[in-house]
Amino acid sequence: MLMNIIPLALYATAFVRYAMQFARRTLNVSRAASTWLIMGAFAHTFVIGMETMRVGHVPFAGATSAISTFVWLLALSYLYIEFTTGERSMGVFILPLLVALQAIPALHPTPEDPSPLLESAWFGVHVSSLLFAYASFALACVLGVTYVLQFNEIKAKDLGFFYDRLPSLQVLDEMNLRAVKIGWLFLTVGLISGAIWASQIQGSGDPRVHSMTLADPKIFVAVLCWAVYSFELYAQTAIGWRGRRAAWLSAVGFGIVLLNFVPVSYFFTQSHKF
Amino acid sequence: MQLLLVGLSHRTTPVELRERLDFSARGVDRALAALAGSPSHSEAAIISTCNRVELYVVSDDVDAARAGVARFVSEFHSVPAADFAPHLYEKVGQDAVRHLFRVAAGLDSLVVGEPQVLGQVKDAYNVASQVGCTGLLLNKLFHSAFAAGKRVRSETALSEGAVSVSYAAVALARKIFGDLKGRSVLVLGAGEMGKLTAIHMRSQGIQRLVIISRTSKHAEALAQTIGGSAMAWESLASALAEADILITATGSTTPIISRTMIAQTMKARRQRPLFIIDIAVPRDVEASAGDFEEVFLYNIDDLQAVVQENLSRRATEASQAEGIVSEEVNRFTAWLNSRGAVPTVVALRQRFEAVRQSELRRLEPKLAALGPEARAKVDEITRLIVEKLLINPTEQLKSISDADTVAAYSDALNRLFGLSADAGASPPGEEPTLTSAGSTKKRIQ
Repeated sequence: MLMNIIPLALYATAFVRYAMQFARRTLNVSRAASTWLIMGAFAHTFVIGMETMRVGHVPFAGATSAISTFVWLLALSYLYIEFTTGERSMGVFILPLLVALQAIPALHPTPEDPSPLLESAWFGVHVSSLLFAYASFALACVLGVTYVLQFNEIKAKDLGFFYDRLPSLQVLDEMNLRAVKIGWLFLTVGLISGAIWASQIQGSGDPRVHSMTLADPKIFVAVLCWAVYSFELYAQTAIGWRGRRAAWLSAVGFGIVLLNFVPVSYFFTQSHKF
Repeated sequence: MQLLLVGLSHRTTPVELRERLDFSARGVDRALAALAGSPSHSEAAIISTCNRVELYVVSDDVDAARAGVARFVSEFHSVPAADFAPHLYEKVGQDAVRHLFRVAAGLDSLVVGEPQVLGQVKDAYNVASQVGCTGLLLNKLFHSAFAAGKRVRSETALSEGAVSVSYAAVALARKIFGDLKGRSVLVLGAGEMGKLTAIHMRSQGIQRLVIISRTSKHAEALAQTIGGSAMAWESLASALAEADILITATGSTTPIISRTMIAQTMKARRQRPLFIIDIAVPRDVEASAGDFEEVFLYNIDDLQAVVQENLSRRATEASQAEGIVSEEVNRFTAWLNSRGAVPTVVALRQRFEAVRQSELRRLEPKLAALGPEARAKVDEITRLIVEKLLINPTEQLKSISDADTVAAYSDALNRLFGLSADAGASPPGEEPTLTSAGSTKKRIQ
């Protein structure tokens, strides 16, 4: 998995470019930024393809492969948004996340061991749905944070740095809610398919399967996430919690996701050690 | 050959006088046609806008052209020269080039960075070139000015940020709501400021424009002129619940929109954002109404602060823009200097050709014995030899970009080849054969 360093280097270069573009707002730099990111995503696709051929399925078992796949999905989702909206100012917020997370598989890889438990199709649905949900939530978080930054400037009548560089509040708000809706859908699918998969492998006698209850930190926090995002969607339609409140919820929600994704996976969970 | 600018602008001249000297009223093309009658210049263009009147001419005798242009302006407009002479500025050569580039870049505008002026310079050039008043120098000059203007616009933020209160309000609305299409605007009061802001909003494609005034007649009149609908004063609360943007500009001495009203409205609209632009003095909206989460309240001072901020930002961008202008001026000057070598090139070619012809004449008796095909061959071969010998010196001469080197090279060639004084020895500034230079170039290629 040492190959994960190549996409990391490309993402890091892209980050520098996005930051330059954000600071100076020049078109040439912004094209260069996108180009570096596309190269990073390409290289990453190649790395994941190689790994898929090695282990026989998309690499998501094992904390580091899952992180690498998540980074790859997030890069692709972000590029999709950049190309459909033409809006490049979010890059400077997404790229640090890509770089920080990709550093884990690149610098500290833990190869996954093939396990018969993972042969189930439900496992594939479970992990891919969740990773995609997390990528959506990451985007929602960035949109939420930028919303708050700009909202505060407009509210304080101090139109400065972010005001000049970000899309309108309306656009940020709509994109945030769309990302949360998509993420929530995949999170729900991921949780249900996980439950089905767990019930299928109950008889295997593996100690990890026995810990697959709500008491396991990983599962508990995932359900907590689901509750937070469900509330955000409910509050938005029922009590008009849009704008800054929705933005905060997206940021908090993704904070919990990250918590679950890295420290909980590494140190606390008993059930999700593959 | 020199470039001369004679003009006046908002910096030097009061508006009454600028109005009297405005060429656009009677047609710039007619003015150019009248100006073309004067023998003192070879090319001319006129920029005439509400802020400036500038005449650019190319002439061999700057003093004569200067007097001629002033006389022309006085006669064309029937305004005594003494009236405008103290306001005129005159610039020659590189100063004139720099001035035009600064104008095109928006650096000389009343509001720095104002974007329309580049279009006006383009129009001025188009008229002049259609009338046939532009030649090699002005064509190149104006195209370089367009390039300078475009570079300043794309490489600096000189034209960014709203610099009037009503534009600042529109820009803010766009930052809050994104596209203003489909939005609804409520104007409270039928005064001038409210009207102006409403017109800017209208131009952004808003869906609904409602005007409410205490005097319903005023509201209806304003609704008629800017295209909206008037509503009665009593329906203020319901109109407020539907509006996305509220513009208040009444003459009331006490606040009309209270905090409680906004509280009720926000409940009725389920926290949909409301942007309030209070441009009335004294204010129409209680300051505490802005405390609600989704209410953005800007008064006239807030907007003026935004405008000031943008203006000072433009001022800081101006130095970068000046740098770009300087670069473009240098580039243009280099081109102009390289054109200075053209007379020498022409003289050199004429000299070589003369030698070839005289040799052919001298050999005429011997060549007479040959057939016509062979004689054509001889002619061809000698011509090719001359061409080949000239290629390198021609290219070298044309690539020189500073005037001193051009002069030194020209002098050396004049001595070495005994070029005739009338064809080649003139200094680069007074280049008499620009048009023949064009045809020379074609033959070289």
